[in-house]
Amino acid sequence: MRRVLIAAVGLFLSAFLFAAPLPAQEKRTAKIKASAIQVEMIQSDEIKLPAEFQVALYENLLRQLEKQRGFQHVYRDGDRGAASATDLVVLHSTVRGFKAGSERARQVTTIAGATSVTIHCQFTSPDGTSLLESDVNGKVRFFGGNLKATYDFAKKATHLAHENFTSPGHE
Amino acid sequence: MTRRGTKILSAVAVAFTGFVVSSANAQQSPQPVKAVQIIGLASVKDNAKGVLSVGNGQLHFVHSKSNSDVSALSIQDVVTGADSQRAVGKTIGMLSMAAPYGGGRFLSLFRTKIDTLTIQYRDADGGLRGAIFSMPVGAAEVIKKELVAQGAHTSAPAEQNAVSSPSTNSPDKREKQ
Repeated sequence: MRRVLIAAVGLFLSAFLFAAPLPAQEKRTAKIKASAIQVEMIQSDEIKLPAEFQVALYENLLRQLEKQRGFQHVYRDGDRGAASATDLVVLHSTVRGFKAGSERARQVTTIAGATSVTIHCQFTSPDGTSLLESDVNGKVRFFGGNLKATYDFAKKATHLAHENFTSPGHE
Repeated sequence: MTRRGTKILSAVAVAFTGFVVSSANAQQSPQPVKAVQIIGLASVKDNAKGVLSVGNGQLHFVHSKSNSDVSALSIQDVVTGADSQRAVGKTIGMLSMAAPYGGGRFLSLFRTKIDTLTIQYRDADGGLRGAIFSMPVGAAEVIKKELVAQGAHTSAPAEQNAVSSPSTNSPDKREKQ
C-alpha cells in the first residue's frame, strides 16, 4: 500500500515537473521571425478621435518600438525604405473604443475621470496576410494628462510585439 | 485758398498713410507665439518650450538649443483643438496635493484654457510624422490659417473646426456598442 502511495506521489511530481515547462517552451518557439516593422497611422473611421490623440498614439508607438530595440528597423507609414526591407511586419491599428475622461475630475476626486482608449492591433505580412490580432487598451486613471493614455497603449502594444515577434539579430 | 489747399493735401496724405499701413498689416505674417511642443518633432524633446512662427513657407519652432522647420507644403493635415491645463502646475501643483483639508484638490479646480495645434507631415523618406503643440487661446487658429495660406492641407476647415475638435478634457464617452 505504501509503495503504491509513493509511486503515485512520484508519478504526480514527475508529471508536474516535466509537463509544466512545456507551454512556456511552446510559447518561446512560436515567435514569428521579423527583422523590421512598419507602423501605419492609427485609423479611427468609426469612432471620432481628437487629432492630438491620433498623432500621440502613433508617435508614442513608434518611439516605444524604437526604444525597445526588438526590431532592427522601425519604419513610419509611407516610408520608402520599407519596400526593400526583409522579414517586414506591418502594424495596422484601428480605434475600437475611446473615453476622453477628465484630468480635472481625476485630480479632484482621484477615482473618477479615467481616460481610456481601446485599439485593435493587426500585424500583417507586406502582402496583407494576418499574422496576429489583438485588442490593446491604454488608460490613465489617477495622475497625468489625457494624452498619457496614449503612452500606456504604446507600451502595451510594444510588449505584445516583442512577445510574438523575434528579430534574428535581437534574440 | 492756400489754407484750403493745405487741408486737402494733409487729408490726402492721411488717407494714403492709412491705406499703406493697412495693406502692410494684411501682408504681415502672424506674430511668433510662445508654444510647447508636446510630442513629435524630430530632435526636439517632449514638452520643450519655444516660439512658433510661420514664414517663407515654413513652420518654425525655435527653442533653447536648436530650431526645427517643417515645410508647409509637406503638411498633410493641420487641426486645431481646445484643451486646458492646471493654473497651478508642476512642482508647486504636486506639493499642493499634500496640503491639508483638500487644498491641493481645490487648486486643481482652477485651470487655464489653451489651444492645441496638431500637424501631420511627410519627411524626406516619405514617412508620416505628427507633431502636437499647445499655445495660448486664439493663437492656433491664426497659425493654421497662415499655414493653409502657404500650402498646407487641412481636413477641418476653420468653420467646422470648433465643432469637430472637442476638448480632450471634457468628459465624453464614445465607446463602440
